[in-house]
Amino acid sequence: MSVEQLMQAEQLVQTYTVRQGPFHTAHLRAVQGVSFTLEAGQTLAVVGESGCGKSTLARMLTLIEQPASGRLTLCGRDATHPDRTQLRALRREVQMVFQNPYGSLNPRKTISTILEEPLVINTDLSRAERRRQARDMMERVGLRPDAADRYPHMFSGGQRQRIAVARALMLQPRVMVLDEPVSALDVSVQAQVLNLLNDLQDEFGLAYLFISHDLSVVRHVADRIMVMYLGRPVEIGSRDAVFEAPRHPYTRALLSATPSVDPDARHQRVALSGELPSPLDPPPGCAFHRRCPWATEQCRQQEPPLRDVEGVDVACHHAERIMSTAATPA
Amino acid sequence: MTSTITTSTAGTDPLRSSRALLDIRRLSVSFQTRNGIFPAVSDIDMTLNEGEVLGVVGESGSGKSVTMLAMMGLLPFNATIEAERFAFADHDMLTLPDRARRRLTGNDIAMIFQEPATSLNPSFTIGYQIDETLKVHEGGRRRQRRERAVELLDRVGIPAPRKRLGDYPHQLSGGMNQRVMIAIAIACNPRLLIADEPTTALDVTIQAQILELLLQLQQERGMAMILITHDMGVVAEAAERISVMYAGQLVETGRAGEVFHRPRHPYTGALLDALPERHPGQARLPTIPGVVPGIGDRPTGCLFNPRCRFAREDCRQQRPELLTMGEADDPRATTGHADQHQARCFHPLETDVSADRDTGARS
Repeated sequence: MSVEQLMQAEQLVQTYTVRQGPFHTAHLRAVQGVSFTLEAGQTLAVVGESGCGKSTLARMLTLIEQPASGRLTLCGRDATHPDRTQLRALRREVQMVFQNPYGSLNPRKTISTILEEPLVINTDLSRAERRRQARDMMERVGLRPDAADRYPHMFSGGQRQRIAVARALMLQPRVMVLDEPVSALDVSVQAQVLNLLNDLQDEFGLAYLFISHDLSVVRHVADRIMVMYLGRPVEIGSRDAVFEAPRHPYTRALLSATPSVDPDARHQRVALSGELPSPLDPPPGCAFHRRCPWATEQCRQQEPPLRDVEGVDVACHHAERIMSTAATPA
Repeated sequence: MTSTITTSTAGTDPLRSSRALLDIRRLSVSFQTRNGIFPAVSDIDMTLNEGEVLGVVGESGSGKSVTMLAMMGLLPFNATIEAERFAFADHDMLTLPDRARRRLTGNDIAMIFQEPATSLNPSFTIGYQIDETLKVHEGGRRRQRRERAVELLDRVGIPAPRKRLGDYPHQLSGGMNQRVMIAIAIACNPRLLIADEPTTALDVTIQAQILELLLQLQQERGMAMILITHDMGVVAEAAERISVMYAGQLVETGRAGEVFHRPRHPYTGALLDALPERHPGQARLPTIPGVVPGIGDRPTGCLFNPRCRFAREDCRQQRPELLTMGEADDPRATTGHADQHQARCFHPLETDVSADRDTGARS
């Protein structure tokens, strides 16, 4: 079987207009120049801190918003500016699971109503058939089908996340956008949900876009990784290449900031001073230069383009130097 | 509050009375609910020396926060606290009058919470909120207090502290708000700082900064610190000793290195095993079946037995006590030192996980 490209993004840009007082409006570039391809059965992890544009990207990819510029292709069809009929058809192909399973399920609807709703809207199946499919899906995600008439509050966080996953799968999408799907869950439950996602991917050949800030989870699930900073991708590459030899200083800082469970490995950190700059007022040159220990004059003036450095796309003037100077911070 | 204080325990054990800042024996907290009495935590033992960092780990519903709130006297009216011994700096917290207790908890024990944005009052400037603490506990003139507030903000790493005094919490980022909370917490030079999930709501790089700051302050002031978290990584980075809680009980306690390398309770073992970090390159993770028991469905016998791979008949019948695990020739095991490795299990794990982990996770 040849690899099937399910989603293709080319130079996606999203801009918002923000009012600042009665006469002044500012343009916020939430996402700039994001390109990637996603194949069936593959997981692309998007990593970054709050304000880096992860969620805006997710909204564009799930066709909630249209990009300001760039091109999005979904299952071989153009999804950049679809008309209503096309949109309806395309939306079936990509579904989303949200971070907080307490907020994403309507507390006043039963589980079967929640699961059948996508079928009511998008198909003309009979009531009995919808009910049967909902129960099948519950069983598939590890819930007892006889709980179909219960309400979300009767389930634990992990079970609710299973319900959210089941709902996303009801229309048999090809692509799933998972926005921090396990970060609200306890460790033991997190492992259960990660296993479920893994099984479902194998079974249905799903492509995942996995948004997370937890690098140990990302390392576990991802095939490829895209690190974002202030709306821009700063490093895109295969999981092993990125984890073993991070080329961008921000990636390196993220890796070293992630606590390890090995108390003997209390490593020296690449300490990052300062906080994320405001996307309304991005610094000139490289957006990261004010927090970067490697920054030089060039970084303050010239914005680094995304370029290939030994198989990984990275936006840094000093990628070669950073990659070779020190061993990977564990 | 009911209490049975045995003065002999404090008298006969010189180690305990001279060094322990916090000494809790068999602390139980129960809530009076409409459906009867619900025991939230039971038989918690906890000792903490001056300047020591204790990590308390557990999943949601394990009773970590309730234990700490009991310590601070912040539990709602329907809660009942019972303990064999509950002493802070040689004060008996069970019999101390409310007034004296409040003075003690304000001055010597401070607490910071998970959501910095919600623990600060949105209607007042941060300068006002720091000043409030200083006014109550330290007094002094307005100008002196203001200088002290600037000093505190500067110490917790807030740039341009004098300008920031007039800012409201919504004008600061989450990380900055947490720094303000820390400034308020250390304003009175507490001897014990309780940090309840202090970094959970923050981004990774900011989380590292805050953790670093807390540890720096802890060392420079010789503060004792209790770090409550569900994040095993955070505990491993920061704590000297670890207590693992499950369903309102302490199931394992010991030095950080020992507990992480050689967990003795099956729950601790399974929890560590469920971390993706320990299974590089594997598609599936080992899991703990089932969920933490809730109010109505606590099992008989060991509370973990329905989810435990190693449960036998006695686990289902009897509730195990916290037992000392150390080797027979370990001198600490017999002296009742707080360092000892204890687990609440009839059949503690024997395997040394450090061996396979060294080859696995460091690849």
